[in-house]
Order: sequence, then C-alpha cells, then structure tokens
Amino acid sequence: MWERKPVLLCVLATVAIMVGTIITMVLPFAWVNTEADRIEGVTPYTALQQEGRDVYIRDGCNNCHTQTVRPLVPEVLRYGDYSKSGEFVYDRPFLWGSKRTGPDLARLGGKYPDAWHYKHMESPRSMVPKTNMPDYGWLSDNQLDPQMIQRKMDVLGFPYTTEEIKALEGKNEMDAMVAYLQKLGSDIPWREATETTIVGDLKNPFIDAGQTTISGWASLYVENCAACHGPQMEGDIGPELIGDDYDDEILFEIIYTGIADGGMPSFSNLGTDKVWKLTNYIRHYKTDGSQ
Amino acid sequence: MDLASIVYLGVTFGMFVIFVLIVIRTYSKKRKDEGEIAKYQMLDDD
Amino acid sequence: MENQTYNYAIVRSFVTWSIIWGLVAVLVGVIVSFQMVDPDLNFPPYLTFGRLRPIHTNAGIYGWGIGMIFATFLYMVQRLCKVPLWSDKLAKFQLWFFNATIIASAVTLLLGYTTSKEYHEMEWPIDVMVVILWVVFAINIIMTILKRKDEQMYISLWYMMAAIIAVAILYIVNAAAVPVSLFKSYSAYAGTNDANVEWWFGHNAVAMVLTAPFLAMFYYFLPKSTGVPIYSHRMSIIAFWSLIFMYLWTGAHHLLWTPVPDWIQTLAMGFSIMLIAPSWGSVFNGYLSMNGQWHQMRENYLVKFLILGITFYGLQTLQGPMQAIRTFSAFIHYTDWVPAHIHLGTMGWVSMICFASIYYLVPRIYGRELYSIPLANLHFWLILVGQLTWSISLWIAGVLQAGMWNAMNSDGSLTYTFMETMVEMYPYWWARAFGGMIYLAGLIVFIYNLYKTAKKGGAIAAQATVVEGRA
Ligand code: HEM
Ligand code: HEM
Repeated sequence: MWERKPVLLCVLATVAIMVGTIITMVLPFAWVNTEADRIEGVTPYTALQQEGRDVYIRDGCNNCHTQTVRPLVPEVLRYGDYSKSGEFVYDRPFLWGSKRTGPDLARLGGKYPDAWHYKHMESPRSMVPKTNMPDYGWLSDNQLDPQMIQRKMDVLGFPYTTEEIKALEGKNEMDAMVAYLQKLGSDIPWREATETTIVGDLKNPFIDAGQTTISGWASLYVENCAACHGPQMEGDIGPELIGDDYDDEILFEIIYTGIADGGMPSFSNLGTDKVWKLTNYIRHYKTDGSQ
Repeated sequence: MDLASIVYLGVTFGMFVIFVLIVIRTYSKKRKDEGEIAKYQMLDDD
Repeated sequence: MENQTYNYAIVRSFVTWSIIWGLVAVLVGVIVSFQMVDPDLNFPPYLTFGRLRPIHTNAGIYGWGIGMIFATFLYMVQRLCKVPLWSDKLAKFQLWFFNATIIASAVTLLLGYTTSKEYHEMEWPIDVMVVILWVVFAINIIMTILKRKDEQMYISLWYMMAAIIAVAILYIVNAAAVPVSLFKSYSAYAGTNDANVEWWFGHNAVAMVLTAPFLAMFYYFLPKSTGVPIYSHRMSIIAFWSLIFMYLWTGAHHLLWTPVPDWIQTLAMGFSIMLIAPSWGSVFNGYLSMNGQWHQMRENYLVKFLILGITFYGLQTLQGPMQAIRTFSAFIHYTDWVPAHIHLGTMGWVSMICFASIYYLVPRIYGRELYSIPLANLHFWLILVGQLTWSISLWIAGVLQAGMWNAMNSDGSLTYTFMETMVEMYPYWWARAFGGMIYLAGLIVFIYNLYKTAKKGGAIAAQATVVEGRA
C-alpha cells in the first residue's frame, strides 16, 4: 500500500505529524492569553521601553539571559516571585531564553536605580569584576528614531501619546534599554508582597570579633557593595558609608531588607550570617582605609 | 468518570490500537518478503 | 553504464558549499567560545557574542546540516529510485539560491536584524527565501520519487519525504509575523503562546532537520559501505511511524516549569521518554546490521564514522529524554549541561554522518580514490577527542553550576551569589574552547584531504572500481 505509493505515504506522514501538533500546539491557544490569564496591572510597553526591548533583541541579550523564573525554591529566592503567564501577554516575541550564562532578568525591574544600569551597561566589569558580559557603552551613541518607533507602536497596537513620541527626540538607545530593564517583571507588586520583615530583637553575633577577623570579611563587601558604595566606601551610586553612626541593628536591617524607594536592593538571600559580617565590617571601617 | 477522562482514555487507546495494527500488518508472514525486498534492492547495481 | 545520466555535479557542488559553511560554523563556534572566557574579544557592534552566536548556530544547522541534506538527498534519490533527477535546472537554481540565502542570513544577523527566536532568527524576507528554497527542493525530490524504477520504497526515502513535509509545516507556522519594515517584524503570537509555538518548532527542528534526514543517510550509507543490507527493513518501518508521530508532542520539554500549561509539559515529558524506543530502534538496526561485520570497524574507515555516529545518536536519545523529566530539568535547565547535549548531537551524530557520507561520495563525485586514508583516520580521532573534550567538560560544568545554584544554607538562604557560581565556569569554558580547537584541527585535516583528492588523487583503485561498478 503506502510503501509503494509516495503520495499516500506523504499524506499519512502529514496526518501522523498533525496529531501531536494539534493537541499540544494548536489547542492551547484556547486557554493561553485568555481572560483567565489576565493580571490586573500588567500594561503594554511604553514607546521608550518597547524600543529598549528591540535593542535587547537586536543585540542578542537573550543568548545569555533568560526571562522566566521557575517556581522552585532556590530560584524564587535568587530572582524573585515566579513568572506567570499573564505577565507576558504583550511580549512579541517572548524572550524567555534557554541559557543562563548571566542571571535571569525576569524580575530585574526596580531592583537597582537607573544610575546602576547606566554604569553597568557602560562597563559591566567596573561593577562586577569577573563577569564575562561585554561593554555596551556604544549604545549611548545611537540616537532614537521617533518616527520608526511610532510605526512600531502602531503595528503592535500599544497606546501612546504624541508627547511621548516627541520626548524620544534626543534620547539614545541606552536610555531605551534602561527604561526597558526597569519595567521587567515589575507590573505585579511582588516586591511588596515578598518583603522581609524582621521580628523580634536583633543581636549582633560578632560583637566580640577582633579587628583581624573582621578585616577577613572584606571580600563580602567587595563583591556585594563596592559597585555602588565605592571600593573605599566613599560613595558613588549609593551614599558614602564612612562615618555613618547607625546602630548595628539598624544597619543590619537596611542591608537585610533593602530600601525599596532608595534603590538599594535587599540582601536577605545572603543569609543572616553574612549580613551580620557585612554590618560589622562596615561599622569598623576607618576613613583612612586602615582597619 | 467524566467526559474528559473518557475522551482522554479513548484517544490514548485508539492511538495504541493503530500502532498495534501497523505492527501486525508490517510483520504479517504474508508480507515478509514484500517488507524486506527494498533493503536488497537498494544494494543492487544499476 | 547508465551512470552518465545521473547528476553528480550538483552533489559535488553541494558538498563543497556545505563544507565551506561548516568551516564557518566551527570557526565562529571557536570565536564565541573564546568570547565567553574573555569579554575583550567582543568588538561592537557587529562582532559581539550576542550577534555571533546565532550566526554560529545557523551556519551549523542550516549551512552545514541542510547543505549536506541537499547534497545527500539529491544523490540518494537518484540511486534509490534508479532514475536521474527530475530537473537538473531546478537543482542548479537550488544550489545558488541556497548560498544566497545563507549569505543573506549571515549578513543580516551580523547587522542585528533578528527575530530572537532560536533557530529561526532570520527576519521575514529571509523566511520567504527559505520557503522558496524548500519548495524547489521538495518538488525535485518528490517528482523524482514519482518516476522511480523500483516499486517498493527503501526506508531512506520515507524519512526524506517525512522530513520535507514536516520542515515545511514547522517553518511556516513559526515564521508568522507582522512586518514593520523590511528588517523588523513582530511575532504573530504573544508571550506564552509564542513560547509554545517556538519550542514546538524548535524541538522538531531537531527531529526533522537533525534527526530524520540523518537517519535517511545512515540507513543508506551504512549498507552501501559494508556491502550487507540493514538488519530489518520492517523494524525500520515501525520505528519510522513511531518516531514521526511522537516527536511532535515533545516541544514543551524545553519549557518545563515555565508558565506553559502543565498538561502540555506532562505530555511532552511522557512522549519524550517513549521516544527512546523508536530512536533506539534505529540504533539497534544499525548495530545488528554489523553482525559478522564488526571486523570492518578496523578495516573500513567509513564504517567507523557511521557506527560512532549512531552511537552518539544513541547516547543523545537517552540523555534527551532524561533532560525532559521535570525533576532533572529543574536541575540542569539553563546550565552548561545543555550545550554539552547539543554538541554531542551536532558535532557527534550529525557531523559524523556527514563526514562518512562525504567520504563515501568522494570516489563517485570526484572520480578519484581518496588521497589519504591515514589522514581520514587522523581526522576521525581529532574530531572524536575534540567533541568528547567539549561535552565532558561542560557536563561537569553544568552539574557543578546547578549544584551551586541550588545550594542553600541551614537558615534557608542561598549559599552562593550568581557571580560566585559563574567564575567557577571559567576553567571548563577554557577546556571547551580547547576541545573546539582540536575539532577545528580535525576539520582542517579533512578539508586538506579532500582538496588533495580533488587536485590529484590517484586513479580509482581496483576495489573502488568494483564498488563504483556495483553501486
Ligand atoms: C529522543 C530524543 C531527544 C530528546 C527527548 C531530547 C530532549 C531535549 C531536551 C529536554 C532539551 C532541553 C534541555 C534544556 O534546555 O533544559 C534538548 C535540547 C536540545 N537538543 Fe535534544 N533531545 C533529543 C535528541 C536530540 C538530538 C538527536 C539532537 C541532534 C543534534 C538534539 C539537539 C538538541 C538541541 C540543538 C537542543 C537545544 C535547544 C536550545 O537551544 O535550547 N537533541 N533536547
Ligand atoms: C569546534 C566546534 C564548535 C565549537 C567550539 C562550538 C561552540 C559553541 C558555543 C561556545 C556555543 C554557545 C554556548 C553557550 O551559549 O553557552 C555554541 C552553541 C551552539 N552550537 Fe556550537 N560549537 C561548535 C560546533 C558546532 C556545530 C558543528 C554545530 C551544528 C551543526 C553547532 C551547533 C550549535 C548550537 C545549535 C548551539 C546553541 C546551543 C543552545 O541553544 O543552547 N556547534 N557552540
């Protein structure tokens, strides 16, 4: 029968292929991106953000960064709340990615202040010395094309105002990129929902630690804080830390929970032990750089 | 059992039956030579 | 001899061009592997990792892989049907249009015109070129099959037809997009739907580009090289139907734990595991065909490439289903384990079969005996060692990385920051780059050998004449 009739074989092969295709690829359209998936607060991209997204695509950031947090404990701890279908309804194309050479970015929005992103994109190694991310400072040299962006917004059917388009004049691709990064994953109030609060009294476990022990914790500062507060705590994106006279407990709390409005991320996922070490290290640091 | 489970089991069973039929047909004694001839022909001179 | 009427010239041209694209793919692969250890090797805007990596994957899969599919299909279809090609003109057009498409892809990707969808990065004008190319190819193959001499179709023809149809469907559906300009478009699907369509496409690109056509080659070139038929044609038929049926359900194993509906993920997991059966059906068929012929592993370098190739395929199709299990995926997904899996398939299975096919074709398309068999053996060992270095170092890296990502302290906090896990990867990435260089050396030996053959290889030796006369 079909072993002698190529046309019949082709038809039967097509049928065999279509069964799985229809069930796992076509049918899901009935459930996905429907009203059931809808999340209040998820909004389309603004003109600037959308352009940033297109730059992200053009330069292939998705080759190293994923944008979906799985509902697994270590992952939620590391990146934030797990991703939900309704958060992606305006993503054309999706940018979930398949390889984490760098960290996931699905919950990046609002984690750092804009200044951090400008500096980091310009020279990632100035903030994270051992990273293999290339420099993207050249994005600042490319002016945006408001007309083209308007056309993109029309095709996507996203709402925009003429002022918004006018405001693009004079902005560059770096501005667009930062605007996009700050939107990622921040449409739902997950940060507020997962905020850590400290209950009970805090007690510095390293109150008796000696100078040498404390100096040994320098690497914690270098890896986690120096990028914003400067290698000598002289301040940069974040404020100077020398001469702060916060109590140990208050300083601990700031590091542990972060300052959402101030752009300081929470370091609770380092664990209390390391945060206490950081607290002591910062408290004992002297202006002249000696310990 | 609700309708969904019946459809689910029915489809699964149906597919299995088709598979068994293909196996039976392919391996029936009657077709042994017919089924294997192509592998000799492909080695032929031409 | 009727040989005159067969079109070998077109096969020769396709072989040459796919080797050129294969060399490009491997060169760019080596470059990006060094960029991963030293970011100073990025030269923006064009020569950055983000733009070069898709050039590497597309040159590998579409330039080298599809190029060899064109070469071997055009050859096999003539021999298996015992008739010349339906249209030589169409084949000639296909050759030049293929190269034009690959060049256009490389240039536009370098310029940053990309959809970002993996294995489908090229923007819509190139999609149009790909569709034209594929239709031309499909017509020529199917029309040739329709006028064949032997009534019963050999299994290779089955795989060829299924692959041609499936690739057409997959590519067109995943290409759907709304253009904004000549070089920019937005996907017709959004978010989770887009992801599901993309990986339905993506995994079946593995099935219908990197598996089915290479099984067609394996089933053809193994018996032709050993001189004995495959173990069981009927077994290959059962494996054929099961394989093409089951593959299409499995795309969502790339999306385990993501917002894609759970039941799709579960189906993908189940079908992936079942896929071991038809995959190993072909592996066993290959091994059992070697019954009484194992001595050829020593005597016949062609057989060595083919059997190693199917062994890589066997390992690949055990590892793949394992990765498709939720718990396992939770661990290794997104790590360097996955590139190790991929290159076991591409550098091992796919490329090994391509090399064997080319060696088999050499006397037929150049009319000369291969310049040097010792060089072919050297080629074999270099690519084997290169590929194993590549994959083994990244499996270790993947497990290490996954372990560190998941490590937690007793107070429920994470043990390592992301950077602490990343710096641990550097030694393994160096090892990978080194393995890549060994592989590249192997490829250069191969190309040198072919070049010498084409230039001045000895006249066909007695044995080859026999094969030529018989085949
Ligand atoms: C039974 C057969 C196979 C199964 C079930 C399978 C399964 C998988 C799974 C689950 C992944 C995703 C890993 C992850 O991201 O966590 C994957 C990735 C991949 N596999 Fe396989 N595999 C199979 C055979 C093959 C073969 C024969 C090749 C041929 C070269 C191949 C090439 C690839 C490629 C290219 C990817 C990467 C996709 C990406 O970009 O993320 N696989 N496979
Ligand atoms: C010397 C040989 C090769 C080297 C050094 C090499 C290197 C690389 C590197 C560094 C990556 C990026 C991995 C990452 O992002 O972590 C990659 C990805 C990839 N390569 Fe290769 N490669 C080689 C050969 C090949 C060949 C021959 C093919 C295809 C026929 C191929 C297909 C791919 C694919 C499909 C990916 C994407 C993996 C993914 O999506 O995760 N490679 N390769």
